[in-house]
Amino acid sequence: MRTAIFGALAAAACLLAGPAQAAQSWGLIGEEEARFEAKVVDVLCELTGNCPDDCGDGDRQLGLLKDDGTLIMPLKNMVSFAGAAEELLPYCGKRVVADGLFAENRGHRIFALQFVREAPDGEWRRANRFQKVWAEENGVEPDSQEAKQWFRNDPRIQELIQRDGKLGLGPEADKAYFSKE
Amino acid sequence: MKHGIARVLLAFSLAAGIAVPASAAERVQVTGEVIDSWCYLTQIMYAQGTAHHQCALWCAAGGVPVAIRSGEEEVYFILKMGEGETNVADPRVMEIQTHNITVDGDLYERDGMKYLVVDTVVADEGIVNETHETFGVQPFGE
Repeated sequence: MRTAIFGALAAAACLLAGPAQAAQSWGLIGEEEARFEAKVVDVLCELTGNCPDDCGDGDRQLGLLKDDGTLIMPLKNMVSFAGAAEELLPYCGKRVVADGLFAENRGHRIFALQFVREAPDGEWRRANRFQKVWAEENGVEPDSQEAKQWFRNDPRIQELIQRDGKLGLGPEADKAYFSKE
Repeated sequence: MKHGIARVLLAFSLAAGIAVPASAAERVQVTGEVIDSWCYLTQIMYAQGTAHHQCALWCAAGGVPVAIRSGEEEVYFILKMGEGETNVADPRVMEIQTHNITVDGDLYERDGMKYLVVDTVVADEGIVNETHETFGVQPFGE
């Protein structure tokens, strides 16, 4: 009897806690949670045979090649306005377990990577490596406001916006538009 | 059926450790707007033209794949632009973000996605899709 009660309590605790790393809904159109195993590949290399060392060392979009030959290029990670290449780079050429969301819309089935680990049982990592790498490259702390708002502080973006404006039509067009706001 | 056989052969090759040749390409000319693929395909916000230009720059710098939109469901992911060897935050592509362009290149289709290796930008009209008066500045209004 005591064993049965303990078992029931343990089962309830598991249900309440849920899996340690599981896809989180973002309320996307045609959203579907997914976890699958795949090999990390350089997408351009996979398609064309143009293959630099180390999957391009951060300069290439990386994909997830499943055993059935399906190639998935994740578009997004867990950092605001950032993609998944930096998240997969440490796993170049290796097998991983990818966890995240598929979304189906406008004739496309796309994937956002939320968690990743080396297969079969490596340590789960949240797909937010981009922020740490950006912080390191820009000389700020990874958890600083500058890093969290990286997109407002990135010198490449600042230079283009200073030259072309937020609308892309030139500073005068910005001035005219925002003065009406 | 053709895709099914191809997939079985590909899976067999991968399982057997046989080197899989690069995919076949088709020469194409594509005209459309340079967009951020994530915001456009998810429709999490309005993601075309001047209303989304700033956000598209953020996403391109952040490494979200950039694409050319030539129709509602016609999206071509840019994997290479000219002599460049990068397709993550490629400065060549960020320079023409939101522009309406015509490109010549090789098209690779795989698993429902169209990937483009661009040789030449044949024409660049600049930014012509002025959407900010209707949609504001996405996503924060400033």
